[in-house]
Amino acid sequence: MSSETNFSSADDQTLVRAAQSGDMMAFEELVARHRDKIYGRAFSMMRNEEEAIDLSQEAWVKAWQRLAQFHGESSFATWLTRITINLCLDQLRRQKRVRAESIEEMDEESGGVERQMPVVTVNPTERLERGELRQRIDVALGKLSDDHRTVLVLHEFEEMEYKEIAKAIGCSIGTVMSRLFYARRKMASLLADLKQMD
Amino acid sequence: MTTEQQLKLQAFLDGELPEGEARDVAALIARDPEAAKLHAELKNTRQALKGADAGMTLPESREFFWSKIKREIERAAPVAEPEPEPVSVFVTLRRLFVPLSAVAALVIIGVIATKQFNSTADAAATQGTVTELADAGAVTYHNYETGTTLVWLSYPADDSTQPKTTVQ
Amino acid sequence: MKIKPVSTRWFWLLVMLLCLGATAATARAEMKLEAQLIWGTSDDVTADPLHKPVDADVAAKLKSLHLQWKNFFVVESKQFTVAKDDTQSAKLSKDCEVKVKNLGHGDVEMTILGRGKEIGKIKQSLPKGELLVTGGNAENSTAWFVALKQLE
Repeated sequence: MSSETNFSSADDQTLVRAAQSGDMMAFEELVARHRDKIYGRAFSMMRNEEEAIDLSQEAWVKAWQRLAQFHGESSFATWLTRITINLCLDQLRRQKRVRAESIEEMDEESGGVERQMPVVTVNPTERLERGELRQRIDVALGKLSDDHRTVLVLHEFEEMEYKEIAKAIGCSIGTVMSRLFYARRKMASLLADLKQMD
Repeated sequence: MTTEQQLKLQAFLDGELPEGEARDVAALIARDPEAAKLHAELKNTRQALKGADAGMTLPESREFFWSKIKREIERAAPVAEPEPEPVSVFVTLRRLFVPLSAVAALVIIGVIATKQFNSTADAAATQGTVTELADAGAVTYHNYETGTTLVWLSYPADDSTQPKTTVQ
Repeated sequence: MKIKPVSTRWFWLLVMLLCLGATAATARAEMKLEAQLIWGTSDDVTADPLHKPVDADVAAKLKSLHLQWKNFFVVESKQFTVAKDDTQSAKLSKDCEVKVKNLGHGDVEMTILGRGKEIGKIKQSLPKGELLVTGGNAENSTAWFVALKQLE
């Protein structure tokens, strides 16, 4: 017989095995343990709290339904994060959101190699405290287009290789490289601008 | 620096270059101040982003979030179908006859209507799809909610089509 | 063998709906359209008093695109009818012309010409209530738009 007390000290592997046998309390413990990380990933891609909550919820439901297919090739958290990312990518494709607020953003949305690169800022985050830096990064990420932010999140936060990203989002490696390059240059410029505005 | 060099420099930073090319880029960074600056910027930006996504908190309580997931799991779980009642042959035939005759009538009317109004328009011009642009630099946006499509052309800002402040 | 009355009703309802659809298809063959040349600006007023703000429906649709320009003024507006497979053109300014071909089934091919030269061509479905807009940069950080819609 399972008990909540046991589950709070059990490792993920044990919880997954119990959940695969149909134990929902074990699955609930996994949810409690990883919900913030999964939500964070969804939010970093969607930049919308409500959407991120809905998509992370959907990811958990899908994880339950596909538990039998998880064989421990990666950690449970990694496996679930990939499910979340795919759901976010599907949602972004469905929406094809029109968010252009300027010609510059329209250029970004086109996803091509952009014309006007910012001037190089060697250290855009010089002398920033960690907390302040995180806040600025959050603001700057929100200013990127969906295409550019997606590639940046997958590479920088998920540490996916170029070819993995290309496969996940359905484009060429060249496109991944161009978008990542632009996203990084744009981030540096935005972070430097935000610093100057203070 | 060319775009290709810049992208190779990035790939070098990300460890995505084969050994030979990586050596070439390292040499470029060593001798070219512009390349060195760009490499430094990319490296510093990457460093700044490390761990920046950590620390987010889902803004719902554990119980509430779990209750929604549990409800959805239970809702989506397959339900055992009730055993079908035995039906007589005549009832089955009668149930088939009416919809089949309706389908037959629809097919006949549909063929007549289609032949009359079928167009030879380009098959690519399907409902709700922008399929062809003469301007390779054009960008397209849809807002499905308001039914608005914008095609932003790369036509330069000169006197040709811009609205003047006096009527032409 | 007696057929249930409710089944007969559904059958005739289906036939009726199909006939209505066929009639609508006939009516759709010809399109009544309006093309407008619109100027987008962040200024609250336009220098030309003849330029009126776009109507509320067009304004709402342009605003839904979240463009940087706050206000939109109609420079010229033309209404015309295009039969199926036919093309009509409308001159919206000295240098701006729009040609619209009715492709049938509610589809159009819109060509924008600047000084007689083709600068954009779009094939698009254009149901009533929807707006097809092309645009580009204009001087002093303003923008030009050509908006096309079906009239009721």
